[in-house]
Amino acid sequence: MIDWLAFLLVFVSALIGTAVVVSAYSLGIRLLTASGRTPIVTPAEFTDAITIVTPAEIKQAEKRAKKAAKKSPLTDGQKRAALVGAWACFAVSGVAVLVGIYLIVGDHLIEIFS
Amino acid sequence: MDLTLIVVLVIALALFFDFTNGFHDTANAMATPIATGALKPKTAVTLAALLNLVGAFLSTEVAKTISGGIIKEGDGGVLITPELIFAGLIGAIVWNMITWLLGLPSSSSHALFGGLIGAALVGAWIAGAGNPIDFAVVTSKVILPALLAPVTAGLIAYAATKLAYAITRRYDGKPDGRDGFRHAQIFSSSLVALAHGTNDAQKTMGVITLTLVAAGLQPAGSDVYWWVIVTCAVAIALGTYMGGWRIIKTLGTGLTDVKPAQGFAAETATAATILASSHVGFALSTTQVASGSVIGSGLGRRGSKVRWRTAGRIGVGWLLTLPAAGAVGALAALVAHMGVGGIIIDTVVGVGVIIGIFLWSRRSEVSHHNVVSEVADSGRAVKIKRNPKPKKKKVTS
Repeated sequence: MIDWLAFLLVFVSALIGTAVVVSAYSLGIRLLTASGRTPIVTPAEFTDAITIVTPAEIKQAEKRAKKAAKKSPLTDGQKRAALVGAWACFAVSGVAVLVGIYLIVGDHLIEIFS
Repeated sequence: MDLTLIVVLVIALALFFDFTNGFHDTANAMATPIATGALKPKTAVTLAALLNLVGAFLSTEVAKTISGGIIKEGDGGVLITPELIFAGLIGAIVWNMITWLLGLPSSSSHALFGGLIGAALVGAWIAGAGNPIDFAVVTSKVILPALLAPVTAGLIAYAATKLAYAITRRYDGKPDGRDGFRHAQIFSSSLVALAHGTNDAQKTMGVITLTLVAAGLQPAGSDVYWWVIVTCAVAIALGTYMGGWRIIKTLGTGLTDVKPAQGFAAETATAATILASSHVGFALSTTQVASGSVIGSGLGRRGSKVRWRTAGRIGVGWLLTLPAAGAVGALAALVAHMGVGGIIIDTVVGVGVIIGIFLWSRRSEVSHHNVVSEVADSGRAVKIKRNPKPKKKKVTS
């Protein structure tokens, strides 16, 4: 017998898990940007078809981010709230991953260490 | 032939297969973070190796599928012998080495299943026994997951990419901070490596357990032995560390160019699919899931194009794997049936092919040093269409 329910279960749980993790993290980035701390992360190494970014261009990007932050219509309080919200979102994303791992291998781990 | 000797030989071969599996699959987890520059290649590979090691300890469901389900033992089926498993492994390893040389992301798991099934069929034919393969289990736990998993992962990655872009999109042209996904990628790709350990290291554990059961050294239906788990974990971690530069080239850049947000979405989808599948004992191909995710997330990005030609080439590699490894496995089983001489011939030919391919590949050696420049060069040669501006015009703030 083919267990179609198992397929459905895999699909649905993977979809929900992915959606939660990705949305929470994206929202975190959105809020971080709103709080005036746009993350500028340069590639660790230009290995691929990544367009090479010169140090000057990185500085430019940082300047642009600062300028955008200055023009932000949000009050300082709102910015602070956004920052807190951003970290809360990152935390939700991380916890979701841990919970997912626990749901899947928790029983096995408990078995090993008991 | 002495039973203990053949068992030792099979275990050694199985561990070598585990090693080539890791060697083959480094790219699954680490092609996207390397492509977006989230991790340095060397760091990425080290991380992948460590997490594969950890992942191998986390589950044994897939090992049980292999050792307990696929090939019927005893009455009604073929009496699976260590010789047949040996032949199946030769088939799997030879096919794995060939696809590695061609830079095709084929599936190590399907190579293994193909080899075992081919060998078992020949074994049954020689013995004049009936159909040795439990096709119901093969269909529901191997073939169907193989067909569905890449599609599933692709759909999820597509949705996740859309989500990530929609949430971070800014219509006022100010910096959107999507660079920040590079940090997330470090974690999501690590998760893929961990998931890989939970699924792929299991396959070798399953084979070794099957051999021990077949040789009467372990009661049927019992748990995987502790030393089997440890050796398999170490073998796959070593393999992951040693290899994969050649494949990283195909999966990370040939297919679609990857942006951090997209890479993050693809990796999360891959990890979620593999982990959920490991949980229910589906022995799916992690390579195919990763490729499906990369394609899905590529389609989820506006203005990005998947190169269908490369995608087609990868698809052909997938389809060929099961029958091709099956053919090699069947041939090896025929030779092994001749007795001790056959086993020796199998070993010599198998080792010969491996050494030959290895030496041939060294002539045009690709390591992390020259892959970098080569890939960067080809990247410049490709015209990357810039993302079109969002259609909705300015939202006045």
